[in-house]
Amino acid sequence: MFDRFDIFFVQQLINGFSVGLVYALVAIGFTLIFGVLNVVNFAHGEIYMIGAYAGLLAIVFLAPPWVALILLVLAAGIAAGVALERAAFKPFRRFRDEASLKSKAMRESTLLSSLAISIVVRESVEKIFGADMQAIPRAYADAMQDPIVLGELAVASGQIAILAAALVMFATLQWILKRTDIGLSIRAVAANPLGAQYVGVNVDRTVIATFAIGSGMGAVAGILIGLYQGTIFPAMGFAPGVKAFVAMVMGGLNSIPGAVICAIVLGLAEAVATEFFGQGWADLVAYVFLVLTLVFFPTGLFGAGRERV
Amino acid sequence: MALLEIDRVTRRFGGLVAVDDVSGAIAEGELVGLIGPNGAGKTTLFNVICGFTPPSSGEVRFAGEPITGLRPWRICRRGIGRTFQNLRLFPNMTVFDNVSVGAVGRLGIGPFESLLRTRAARDRAADVSARTWQALERTGLAPYAHLLAADLPYGRRKYLEIARALATGPRLLVLDEPAAGLNETETAELARFIRTLHAEGLTILLVEHDMSLVMGICQRVMVLASGRKIADAPPSVVQQDPLVLEAYLGTEEVA
Amino acid sequence: MRGVLAPLAVFAVLFGVLPAGLSAAGSGYLFRLADVTLIFCILSLSMQLITGVAGLLTLGHAAFYGIGAYTAAILSTRLGFDAGLTIPASGLVSALFGVLIALPTMRLVSIYFAVATLGLGEMIYVTLLNWVSFTRGPLGIGDIPPLRPFGFDLSSPLGTYLLIAALAALALLVVHRVAHSYYGNTLRALREDDQCADAMGLPVVRLKIETFAIATFLAGIAGALWAHTTGYVNPADFRFAESILILAMVVVGGLGSIPGAIVGAALLILLPEALRAIGRVRILAVGLIMFLCILFLPKGLFGEVTALDLVRRQFGAAWRGSPTDRPLGWR
Repeated sequence: MFDRFDIFFVQQLINGFSVGLVYALVAIGFTLIFGVLNVVNFAHGEIYMIGAYAGLLAIVFLAPPWVALILLVLAAGIAAGVALERAAFKPFRRFRDEASLKSKAMRESTLLSSLAISIVVRESVEKIFGADMQAIPRAYADAMQDPIVLGELAVASGQIAILAAALVMFATLQWILKRTDIGLSIRAVAANPLGAQYVGVNVDRTVIATFAIGSGMGAVAGILIGLYQGTIFPAMGFAPGVKAFVAMVMGGLNSIPGAVICAIVLGLAEAVATEFFGQGWADLVAYVFLVLTLVFFPTGLFGAGRERV
Repeated sequence: MALLEIDRVTRRFGGLVAVDDVSGAIAEGELVGLIGPNGAGKTTLFNVICGFTPPSSGEVRFAGEPITGLRPWRICRRGIGRTFQNLRLFPNMTVFDNVSVGAVGRLGIGPFESLLRTRAARDRAADVSARTWQALERTGLAPYAHLLAADLPYGRRKYLEIARALATGPRLLVLDEPAAGLNETETAELARFIRTLHAEGLTILLVEHDMSLVMGICQRVMVLASGRKIADAPPSVVQQDPLVLEAYLGTEEVA
Repeated sequence: MRGVLAPLAVFAVLFGVLPAGLSAAGSGYLFRLADVTLIFCILSLSMQLITGVAGLLTLGHAAFYGIGAYTAAILSTRLGFDAGLTIPASGLVSALFGVLIALPTMRLVSIYFAVATLGLGEMIYVTLLNWVSFTRGPLGIGDIPPLRPFGFDLSSPLGTYLLIAALAALALLVVHRVAHSYYGNTLRALREDDQCADAMGLPVVRLKIETFAIATFLAGIAGALWAHTTGYVNPADFRFAESILILAMVVVGGLGSIPGAIVGAALLILLPEALRAIGRVRILAVGLIMFLCILFLPKGLFGEVTALDLVRRQFGAAWRGSPTDRPLGWR
């Protein structure tokens, strides 16, 4: 059916697809926060890294079962997200001088503060754990490497886990946004923060909830990918963070489905580029996509698809 | 010859026709009003003239030459100065610096001459400064020159907008709702000021909501309703026009 | 008169007090520290022109610094050019890249521009890292000769210092003259409201490209000085973190303020250096100082605009419902 090269290429595409899912996992939380607040949360990559380190600590000291591990990481991510919101975003809501700024100040003054926080967090983790790669204990990491053979192709169980996690997160988020009260508040704040405030939505609480949800998902993505790759390090958040960002821009800034699709496209494109030009040059793909998108498709690849959140 | 000619300009936004086949002309030395109920397409027509929005079809000519599709700064350099409806000053700059931007917009300036401070550069700087002071004197802002624009009293900010537009040395001054947010006394003062500018030989197009201002000072009034021009006549005639009355009925009163 | 006193004071400190003090201390380390501080002064001044004066938030400035450094490294090691040629050449090559990059991106509004510069900066880094045949990739380029412009041997600590100080003074003069002129006023107008500046007859895109060219030229010169004084360049020195370091200098010193850029650079180079006793905390300190500064000193130490104002306007512009039907992010 396939000759050797084709098989290899399809295998590469499958790997690219799972890398794309990794980006998608990060992009979901990132896009949620952007979509609601219109802020670029530069510290999202650090939340992802915190998730991985929280998972490592839990494994080393508690060796919990899988479900407990995920829940612990989720809790750590939520805590980190809320702390981040309090430290880097909340203080700037005091720079409002009139009613019209109530919503704006919240979403508009925090690029630099989240950037600064991300540096502080990353460097602090580096001070505590060292800059080097930390290996995840084999007992957990190996579970992600069981090969599942499909004819001539093989996927690792971790790739399946990441696919499942992406589907679950995506569905959960849609459920939260469309079916719950807090989701309704989130969508209201995303559409019109001031209006939401007027009809009685607690904007402050909604913002915290958004950060909690987005960061929880970011942290779970961190531990899953840490487990799958077997090692974690303090700067691990940067590359997926940037790529999630690229996916978000390509997807049209505040469309979560758009970001997910573009993340996968990005993963596939990187796999193809790696195939033809090598690993190093493949890093260029994301940036080329970013700049081309900004210059030629400023509303994202899906045109005027302006659906929010 | 007409200074500004609007030739069958149409502007669509998706399915909405904001400006529908509007023609008109302004002769050198005229003071013309452009009025219409909310959503009549005044602002869109304004943006088409100033190059902020390209027309879907039709042409705008200034001093006989087409200016359709030119960038705003080129249109400004051709001689159309504008103000903004919701004051768009440069808040962290002084009043003088605000106005000097208009003067530089007219005269142009390059980085290297500023860098090397050549004789030509110093001459040009002197020109800019003279032009700026002239515009400040004309609008009575000279005493405020060193204040930050953000610290200027509200009523004066309108004059700063006008001073900045005057510094660009316009042949046609287009004012976008200058009376918005002013009380009656202030509006009357503004009306006198606009009349003075006109008496000094400036051609003015006044896009306005405030009927008393337009009817009081304009020689001719164009009326837009639902994107179409429904009247183009002296104020006394427009006030009697049944079409205009109908367009305003229930929305506003014709003064 | 302030117009004479300030330059005199700068001159006296740069060429009198500092070199005398450093020579008296006789410490190569202190000379090196002064050199690095001055190189970063050039970088922060150049970024001040783009970000503080013209209001374009750039997250990729280190890339131009890197292009300058690699130009000097390659020209001097492969072609044997001396510093008298490599320094201006680095500035020109960097400015050329600056203009090439500015052409497509200058039409992007603010936050999109910031993101595009981040992307372009990383593209340049990835290229430096992977084009092994040209840049030697992660190995970096070593054995870059010290400063001997046109046969004058300035490779002694004092000579090197004096050349760097002279170029920093020149950069200061350039940025000062550009910023404090009617031309500078037009750049401030872009920062405040570029759409309105357009309506006042200013060729917005051209002004932005010119500013970018001047600033990237200066960044390229800083890169060449770094290459010649360090003797070794490596892609990792010109990454995103370095761009953020330069940005932090400008933010801490105060956007739009020239003394701010200098004090910011000195603070963020010297303070972490003073804290070396408690370990490698440079980047941590940078992040912390930047955060505290944004929180408690929104105008920086000397700024004319608050950092938040800038960002707010950036976002405001990006998200303001455009009156035209041009696509989001364009103007």
